[in-house]
Amino acid sequence: MAKTVDQFFDEVRETRVWRSIFRSGTGSSTLHRALTIQQNVFLHLLSTKVRTRMLTFSATWYLGTLTLGTFLILVATGIPLMFYYHPSVPQAYADTKDLQFVVSSGLFLRNLHRWSAHAMVFLVFAHMFKVFYRGAYRTPREFNWVIGVVLLLVTLLLSYTGYLLPWDQLAFWAITVGSNIASAVPLIGNKIHFLLLGGNAVNANALLRFYVLHCMILPLTALLFVGVHFWRIRKDGGLYAHSSEPSIVPAQAGEKPTSRNSGETLRPGSGQAWGTPNPSKEAQ
Amino acid sequence: MNAKLSTLWQSLFGNSVRAFGVVSVVFLCSLAIAPAKNHFSEWRHYQHGYLKMIRNRSEANTLQRHFQGGIQQIWLPDLGVVDRCTSCHVGLNEASLTDVATQPFRKHPVIPHKLDEFGCVICHRGQGAATTVAEAHNSTLAWEQPILPARYIESSCGECHRGALPGTPVLNEGRRLLARYGCVNCHTVKLADGTTMKATDDPPSLSHIADKTTREWIYAWLKDPQAYAATATMPNFKLSDDDARDMSAFLIANSTPVAGDSIALPAKPSSDPAAGTSLYGESFCASCHAVQNAAGNLVGGNVGPELTRVGNKVKPEWLSAWLRNPRTYDPGTAMPHYRFNDAQVATLSAFLQAKTDSDLLANVHLEAATPEQIAHGKRLVSDYGCASCHEIAGIKKPENFAPELSRIGSKPITQLLFLPGMPHTLPDYISGKIKQPRAFSPGLKMPQYTFTPGQVDALTTALLSLNDRSTTLPPSLTVPAVPESNYQPAGKAGKLMSDLACFSCHRINGHGGDMAPDLTWEGSSVQRAWLVSFLKNPGTLRPALIRRMPRFNLTDEETSELTDYMITVYQNPVIDRDSIPLSGYSAGEIELGRQLFYGKYSCQGCHILDSKNDKGYVGPTLTQVGSRLTAAWMYQWLKNPQSLRPGTIEPNRAMSDEDAQAITAFLMSQKGSTKKEVAKK
Amino acid sequence: MADSKDFIAGVDSNAKKAPRRIVFITRRTSAQVKAETEDQIQTFPEVLFRATVVIEVLAVLLVWIALIFNAPLEGLADPSHTPNPAKAPWYFLGLQEMLHYFPPVVAGVLVPGLVVMALIVIPYFKVNIEAEGLFSKDREGRLRIFYIVAVLLSIFLVWFHVIVALVPTLIIVALMILAAQSSAQSPSGFRRYLAARPLSYWVMTWFLFELVVLTAVGTFFRGPGWSWIWPWQS
Repeated sequence: MAKTVDQFFDEVRETRVWRSIFRSGTGSSTLHRALTIQQNVFLHLLSTKVRTRMLTFSATWYLGTLTLGTFLILVATGIPLMFYYHPSVPQAYADTKDLQFVVSSGLFLRNLHRWSAHAMVFLVFAHMFKVFYRGAYRTPREFNWVIGVVLLLVTLLLSYTGYLLPWDQLAFWAITVGSNIASAVPLIGNKIHFLLLGGNAVNANALLRFYVLHCMILPLTALLFVGVHFWRIRKDGGLYAHSSEPSIVPAQAGEKPTSRNSGETLRPGSGQAWGTPNPSKEAQ
Repeated sequence: MNAKLSTLWQSLFGNSVRAFGVVSVVFLCSLAIAPAKNHFSEWRHYQHGYLKMIRNRSEANTLQRHFQGGIQQIWLPDLGVVDRCTSCHVGLNEASLTDVATQPFRKHPVIPHKLDEFGCVICHRGQGAATTVAEAHNSTLAWEQPILPARYIESSCGECHRGALPGTPVLNEGRRLLARYGCVNCHTVKLADGTTMKATDDPPSLSHIADKTTREWIYAWLKDPQAYAATATMPNFKLSDDDARDMSAFLIANSTPVAGDSIALPAKPSSDPAAGTSLYGESFCASCHAVQNAAGNLVGGNVGPELTRVGNKVKPEWLSAWLRNPRTYDPGTAMPHYRFNDAQVATLSAFLQAKTDSDLLANVHLEAATPEQIAHGKRLVSDYGCASCHEIAGIKKPENFAPELSRIGSKPITQLLFLPGMPHTLPDYISGKIKQPRAFSPGLKMPQYTFTPGQVDALTTALLSLNDRSTTLPPSLTVPAVPESNYQPAGKAGKLMSDLACFSCHRINGHGGDMAPDLTWEGSSVQRAWLVSFLKNPGTLRPALIRRMPRFNLTDEETSELTDYMITVYQNPVIDRDSIPLSGYSAGEIELGRQLFYGKYSCQGCHILDSKNDKGYVGPTLTQVGSRLTAAWMYQWLKNPQSLRPGTIEPNRAMSDEDAQAITAFLMSQKGSTKKEVAKK
Repeated sequence: MADSKDFIAGVDSNAKKAPRRIVFITRRTSAQVKAETEDQIQTFPEVLFRATVVIEVLAVLLVWIALIFNAPLEGLADPSHTPNPAKAPWYFLGLQEMLHYFPPVVAGVLVPGLVVMALIVIPYFKVNIEAEGLFSKDREGRLRIFYIVAVLLSIFLVWFHVIVALVPTLIIVALMILAAQSSAQSPSGFRRYLAARPLSYWVMTWFLFELVVLTAVGTFFRGPGWSWIWPWQS
């Protein structure tokens, strides 16, 4: 049975349609596996290979991955929530109630979105501290750290703008308290406050502004920076590992110089030199 | 065991593909719980229950046809209300489901409004948008107002209906009490129409109190007003002995005399011991004043103060002056100016002075007040807001003395401090505050009232109706109250009417009390001769009533002044009082009227015409109606009583013109008994 | 390696300027990075599967949380009824707690601004790169500076009555004193660990500790009028 299923998948992968969609071709060779990553617009942001010991849980606690996970959940739940939501006063609150009482699984969607948002803020902080204590921001990863700080701020803003959208007392006063802090900026504080809220108090304008920021501008910004963040992991030499900084050595005679960084290095057919060729085999 | 577990672990999570597979299955299963949870929702459960219940009923087919599955809602865009109660309360409109024992399926009792147009939460509160039992009925973080307990339900009527309704006795009583007990003297209540609720308690001025009473009585009264008079409006401020001492000292020291409000009588009281009692009775003092009888029951009206222990209170000289003309001491009093002669005053005064309670002041011994005590008393009088109700010379009426109550019915629970053990709901808070205001915090100034539980509920109901919705409703959705007019008759007759305090009992053009008949159309309805004789010697039209029109001992000149004014001015525009003759009807017409009266319309069910046989006590006696009413009024009254007096219980029998004419003729012939009355006297 | 024209060799031990490296670069070849010999693994499929499994586990966890706990929702926003206390989202409660003590310009603008600035410049100042214990060199001088800073900070916090922030500060100070008393030869493993902590570690740990404590206090221990209440009182 298992055999036939495998065969079936193999056949599917051989079809013209599959081949037209996935450029990397078929096969389980290291080349093919590397191509799978390289030839995919999304996956090519990742390194082709990862140091085996970085897979252990204690190395990273998978905090970056988990943060990405919450982001994906938030996008997946946020879009259906947008279908039921009008950013107007007081319809926004009525819509939130309707999500709870009449929309099928609406309450579940909102719960999941809310808790995931809290989880994301928490995980972003945790990720930052973990990276700091590992010293993973060192050269050449300085700028990726800065991108990380930007992503932290974007995450906070995403959560903060989303906080207002249910238009309940909790939302209203949390945003009122938070936005009043902006007024404390010397000289231009009131202007910033006005710009942030579209008025002098939290009102319908602020709701619309926060809605556009929350559903459009900030997610796209986050997406952009997340892309750069992942790409820079690869370009900066893969996941940082203690006391294993790549050493700079002259290329061996007769060998073609390859790309500068290990993550990008592609050496077809020499899987043995690059670690375990077949992880599934190893795991068994 | 361990080995087994580890094998299991290996086979499930041994490699990442397997782990991926297993975790994915768990993930998808978890995701599937949400729609499943949705499917087993409470409202579906109730709808299934409903379908099961109606299956066993004889009218199952009809009910089945009316039934609509799914979430039902009533949407009132004008009020911003979405009401989904009917998703579970399925049979609210099913006439046959009155006998259903289990809620939520019973039919709603008949009310003046259509359920489809008004929804449920407008009256019952609760969260209409909710589709779960707990969220819809209870107070939650997202919804403060739980279902309103049934005993306060009339408060919801009051949100739209700003005036009194016949169907809302509790609300009407609550509104009356708010004004009657002077709640609105301290607490501002702004009504939705922009006016402020006015008190009707008529508290006496204290600027001249020393003329009227003693410091000892003031002390005893301040300590416990209800000990003096059970019906006292004044609440108990729970003052300490020293505070009451100092406040009484201040009030006496602050008082200024009024010229002519104390007289030493030249006349002696009548030697007849029963003379006082009979004068008290003849003057119908009991129409307004109550006295406790031997059994402890109050006998008399509640317009004026209770007189059970009045002898402890008033100084004799003051009482004489007051009985002679109360307007000397208090120009605005509701007490009529009786035209007593000196002998009558002396008799009545002595009668009233004898009404004492030896215990009341027995233990009150006050030494002469020091200036410090007076100063302290003044401060206390300001602090307790006495001037909110009473006029006190030298002390300004405080503004916003107590919290405004204009929107008390929407006060957020989070802003309330409850007593321990008290249910955390707004009605409980409000009624608790009325019942024991000082329990909430030792520093509070609100005094202790002696309301019955029914009165507390009524007040709570009235206060609950003062909420956000009632203040923000668009005017098109409200039923405004008939505004109290400030009608005042002009001229000599007007002066006379205010001297006699006619408006304390009678209502004219929307102004005045409701104890006695409305006199707005009096000029159209009665014959001049009857009015003259009635004013000189008022009998009663309704023998069953204790309250009667008193005799004011008017002079002929005063009587004719008053009569002429009323006959001329208080005319109904649709009635020409001379269009139908008062007499001269043919015997046949009168006989036809008699038959219609006793036969077709059975008027004797409510009215007495023949005092021997008729037993009707609901309407006024008609034995001398022919000499009392004008024929034009009577005819119009028979045709359409409500057009003359809206809200009268006299039914509109839709009489033909001929029937009305005949009955008018018959009734106009009923003049006979006047002579008998006079003969008796 | 004898021909000095073919390559340059050098050792740079100034870790503040560059990580310690030995560099051999032949003139005719461009430098390339050769991977260390340690094991590596193809991202596809192993790493991707692992990442997916991790995300799915998280998703299952969150789905169950979402099924069991409802997201908070209060009454309709009403500008005329201020709840007491009005709290910001939990991640800003540390800031709000500071607003309780300091003027808004300090607590709301200066402090968060400085924190963000500090986070951005961390990698460029090469902090934490030495990975040497703070007191392993120039112990006396550094201890003196440390004591002055610790005392000044404590006085500052006491001056503004910021007891909430003082407690974590004192704990960190105590640990740093313990670290100063320890060395790589200390018998206890914990003390050896502390002795090896660099300055950046201490600063960041102090920041993390303050962040957690202030946020927790703002979230759980603050009631009406921002007064102190216990979570079980409410």
